[in-house]
Amino acid sequence: MNEDLYWMFIDVANGLLSGSMLGGYYAVIAIGLALNFGVMRLVNLAHGDWLILAAYLAVAFLSMANVSPFWTLLLVVPVMYVIGYVIQRVMLNRVSVQAAERRGMSASFGLMSPLLVTFGMSIVIGQGLLAVFDSNAMAIRNELSFDAIRLGEDLTVSTLRLIFFGIALLMLALVQFFLHGTHMGRAIRAASDDPEIAALMGMNANKVYAVASGISLATAGVAGVMIGMSRSFQPFDGPTFLLIAFGVVILGGLGSMVGALVGGLILGIVQVLAGTYFGPSAQLVAGYILILFVLAVRPQGLFSR
Amino acid sequence: MTPMADAVPLLRIAGLSAYYGELRAIYDIALDIREGDILAIIGANGAGKSTLLKSIVGLMNRGEAAHIRGRVEFRGRRLDTLETEAIVDAGVTLVPEGRRLFPRMTVEDNLRAGAFLPRLRPTADRRLAEIFGLFPKLRERRRQVVSEMSGGEQQMVAIGRALMSSPSLILFDELSLGLAPAVVDDIYRKVREIHAKGVTCVIIEQDMRRALAVANRVCVMLEGAIVLEGAPAELTEDAITAAYFGSER
Ligand SMILES: Nc1ncnc2c1ncn2[C@@H]1O[C@H](COP(=O)(O)OP(=O)(O)OP(=O)(O)O)[C@@H](O)[C@H]1O
Ligand SMILES: [Mg+2]
Repeated sequence: MNEDLYWMFIDVANGLLSGSMLGGYYAVIAIGLALNFGVMRLVNLAHGDWLILAAYLAVAFLSMANVSPFWTLLLVVPVMYVIGYVIQRVMLNRVSVQAAERRGMSASFGLMSPLLVTFGMSIVIGQGLLAVFDSNAMAIRNELSFDAIRLGEDLTVSTLRLIFFGIALLMLALVQFFLHGTHMGRAIRAASDDPEIAALMGMNANKVYAVASGISLATAGVAGVMIGMSRSFQPFDGPTFLLIAFGVVILGGLGSMVGALVGGLILGIVQVLAGTYFGPSAQLVAGYILILFVLAVRPQGLFSR
Repeated sequence: MTPMADAVPLLRIAGLSAYYGELRAIYDIALDIREGDILAIIGANGAGKSTLLKSIVGLMNRGEAAHIRGRVEFRGRRLDTLETEAIVDAGVTLVPEGRRLFPRMTVEDNLRAGAFLPRLRPTADRRLAEIFGLFPKLRERRRQVVSEMSGGEQQMVAIGRALMSSPSLILFDELSLGLAPAVVDDIYRKVREIHAKGVTCVIIEQDMRRALAVANRVCVMLEGAIVLEGAPAELTEDAITAAYFGSER
């Protein structure tokens, strides 16, 4: 076989492989945002900051107990669920699109106030983290950081990324099953379509939204721990991840977990391939160019009907 | 029917007014619905028929803009102070105007959504089977997304979804709107079957003849008020027409 052709093949294969792994991680970062927007038409500008908060929660937990970082999920996920539930009930339900519609205001007007509120929340979370943890970069140390699995002569995959990819598939499947196979999941979909009729089904839309937001932040908890395990982070890193989540949602379309996976995969693969061929600085740029291109050509997302 | 059931109406409405902001859409409604009734409500567009039914199930009580005044009692229990969820739990439900299905869900998911209340979940499978018995077509189509179905099929899903809450009183808003006559005949046969199982029915019907044929009581609404009420046998078509359009015409 021609040597050049072989290396070209290896480059592409490595790009596809590690791009896919990255894509699974991106999908997890985006699930919460997609769920919030798909269910409640809530554009949660604080989403990225919740991810970072979860990473700090894991750090705090690890400073008290010397265990494998994966154990932090047992604490971080339930805590994030409760935060999501409570924030939705006491705050976001009052300023939601649905609340605006109940008051007889237009939906477009109603979109504005949750934007402002979550933007404010984003600032508060960032400042709060700064006050508690100061601005030094943190990371969740773990022994897997530099491990890799060899799949072939010149084909390797990071062990950590592979584990994350498995977790991503598991989470997407769980959320999908929850939405389609349980009473509460049906209620979430029903209340997102038509809150008034949901009430006629005996569903309290505000409680249903609170559960949805709880789940959304619980997934953000997992994503936050993943972020902390893959890189260092600082209090104001939230917007970086908000942007990734938006990218995934724009590429994959809303509403379905399959969309989140597809969006994550596209973004991950494009970034890694761009990095391979045009150098590391092209990695981020290529992602944004792709997103802008899709926004210009298909603003409803690549895969939404 | 026992004399007792006659004495205490299933649903008693007294002094009921409903407002959309400043606009009063119905005013000072008094109406008794007895157990076993099929009550037909007729009236011109904008007469307030839908508003009356929405008031009963608490949908006029949900925002600052719309609200009600007056009393609604179901089996002697106040409904007008309850949330819609609690009213449905008490056994009153509405098949809304325009069906309002959850468009992206399948037939089965729409039906199961109707059994969300914890009290209903253990028996949901049994009731689903009953509804498939009543509408065999829905059993074949159970995995189909409802937005792809015909109007008649969608109406069946809407009725089935309401039945999933095993109501004792079911309110149908515009049961036959936009459906072909043969389909309407079929839907009305199903309503009779539902009624025969002991469910009290209120039906908003634009077609006066149909209303008179199916109902044991008819009431006519005009500009937010009930202007005529009685058994079909007691009412002449002329009297109903006069009430429908207002006496001065
Ligand atoms: N959401 C709303 N906001 C403001 N006014 C409303 C609203 N819905 C209905 N109305 C008004 O309330 C009055 C009664 O309306 P309603 O829908 O109850 O009439 P209806 O008898 O059901 O009419 P139709 O036969 O057209 O369904 C009408 O004057 C209508 O314009
Ligand atoms: Mg109406």
